[in-house]
Amino acid sequence: MEFNAKMYDMPQEKAWCPGCGNFQLHSILREVLAELSIPPQELVFVSGIGQAAKLPQYTRGHMFNGLHGRSLPAAMAINAANPSLKVIVASGDGCTYGEGGNHFLAQMQRNPDIVNIVHNNMVYGLTKGQASPTSSKGMRTRVQVDGVTNEPFNPLAVAIAMGATFVARVFPGNKAQTKEVLKQAIQHKGYALVDCFVQCVAMNKVNTFQWYKEHTYELEASHDPTDRQMAFQRALESEQYPTGVFYSVEGRPVFWEECAAYRHNPEPLFRRSVDMEKLQDVLDSKA
Amino acid sequence: MKKFVKGNEAVMIGALYAGCDAYFGYPITPASEIAHAAADMLPQMGKVFLQAECETGSINMMYGAASAGKRCMSASSGPGMSLMQEGLSYLAGAQLPAVVVDVQRTGPGLGNIGPEQGDYDQAVKAGGHGNYKCIVLAPASVQEMCDLTIRAFELAFKYRNPAIVLADAVLGQMMESLELPEGQLQVPDTKDWCVRGDAETRQNLIASIYLQIDLQEEHNWMLQRKYESMAADTQAQSYLTEDADIIITAYGSCACIALSAVDELRKEGVKAGLFRSITLFPFPKEELAQAAAGKKVLVAELSNGQYRDDVLLHLPCEGRGQVELINRMGGNLIRMEAIKEKAREMMGVKA
Ligand SMILES: Cc1ncc(C[n+]2csc(CCOP(=O)(O)OP(=O)(O)O)c2C)c(N)n1
Repeated sequence: MEFNAKMYDMPQEKAWCPGCGNFQLHSILREVLAELSIPPQELVFVSGIGQAAKLPQYTRGHMFNGLHGRSLPAAMAINAANPSLKVIVASGDGCTYGEGGNHFLAQMQRNPDIVNIVHNNMVYGLTKGQASPTSSKGMRTRVQVDGVTNEPFNPLAVAIAMGATFVARVFPGNKAQTKEVLKQAIQHKGYALVDCFVQCVAMNKVNTFQWYKEHTYELEASHDPTDRQMAFQRALESEQYPTGVFYSVEGRPVFWEECAAYRHNPEPLFRRSVDMEKLQDVLDSKA
Repeated sequence: MKKFVKGNEAVMIGALYAGCDAYFGYPITPASEIAHAAADMLPQMGKVFLQAECETGSINMMYGAASAGKRCMSASSGPGMSLMQEGLSYLAGAQLPAVVVDVQRTGPGLGNIGPEQGDYDQAVKAGGHGNYKCIVLAPASVQEMCDLTIRAFELAFKYRNPAIVLADAVLGQMMESLELPEGQLQVPDTKDWCVRGDAETRQNLIASIYLQIDLQEEHNWMLQRKYESMAADTQAQSYLTEDADIIITAYGSCACIALSAVDELRKEGVKAGLFRSITLFPFPKEELAQAAAGKKVLVAELSNGQYRDDVLLHLPCEGRGQVELINRMGGNLIRMEAIKEKAREMMGVKA
């Protein structure tokens, strides 16, 4: 099979504003998938609700567009039910870190084999511009009329602290690096967080494309992504935001491998039906 | 004094007149403008506005504020309302006053942001666990978005019970002229039950937990008696019902269309009347029975017969055979023509 980015396109028009960072990220993701030669039928795109969460509808593959904040439990389960599929979650910062914050933490403890792409535009886009967990302090919105007072959520520091096995940040304005990082994230076995700086042209007048460009720089080639303490330290930088792979460790068992259901039976869960003989055995053993 | 405002803004104006101390909410269309108005006005009044991390957060912030005797509120729609049901059950169990505005969108699931009345059962029958009820008020104009929010606070505090203002996307988004409320606010004393951490309220305890089964049952019986006593506060509108042969009954934005249908039918010589429920819990049972006695009844609603079921439940037995339903879902409104046609058909008259 010949792979090219176009094969991941869907026919419908994208309901994102012209200039939205989601376009660049989506475009790069398609190229990465083609370069990794992953056929659409082996991909599942999972999302919650929001502008970012529309991505599965615009990308050829299987999709699960679930509830606001709840993309991750579904993604984990899809991965466990059919480990041969590549699961890519794409949702917003509000969806993933706000409404879905608890699920975000729980996945890092479980280490499912999924890629968690967060379109971090530092605002609630779809609901028209309220502050999100990552909004900058002082940013004025129609709800935070005197400016945001919360300390911004630091997803990378949280993920490194929680023991996530792959933690990265990208800015799609830096195409080469974004491509490389997404590639690594998809090839990583285990939970991979990729926080992506994308501009929301309609609702966030502070964190524009230019702002992200001026406030990001690449982690040096000398950064050792297996050094957790250093990774954590780099994740705390907040004047200028480093991009790249902060932390990455291979070899930790993934969630489905730890599931009791797979201990003696490699058959994927989705293929299994009720085994009446087994049921009898289980009930007999209780007698 | 008059102001030309959106229904969602009118809610917050009402809330301010009702002495709202705090608003806790999470954005969702088509309710977000209530939060925008709250964020704009409450801090200017020296009161609290807080955007929560999720709707479970909002309702539990209300649990706390209400425990302290404060007048708090939130607003949401479909998915967010579902998330608040657990907290509403606790508030009801702990007998706490709070106001939640549901600007209904369509469902089930994500649905869309068009108007529907599919949250009727969730609000009226109580969508959380246990033997409880919420007071439910149904505005049908921008004026009532304001006035019934005030009423919701009054009733919530009178009965120490959560109250829901059951609006919909049409009411939230439409603009009308609003007559600002008059009169001095009567803020009820809460020191007999609230917990403020001071000497005056030290003897009070707020709880929804009774580990002894007999105490839990006693608590439940007491709650049921309270819900029954709410019948004193039913509210409904009867329009041209006295001499009518057919009553159209509806609530919320749907009732506006039904009202126009009644006027038009009258012009054609069909004796139609409107019965509009303003309180949905307590249900205006007596008022309905009186308005509908011996008449045909056409229920118009933007849901799958949820309101119709309550009409059937509350009508005297002999009236129940005469009830029919006209409804739309998915964000569609019922056309006035369709109501007229159905009414004519029930009356056996041709257009
Ligand atoms: C339970 C629930 N609450 C609220 C909403 C409304 N809602 C839809 S998307 C969204 C936030 C969107 O922001 P984000 O996740 O950052 O994504 P973006 O639109 O910026 O890409 C909200 C609050 C909802 N759908 N469900």
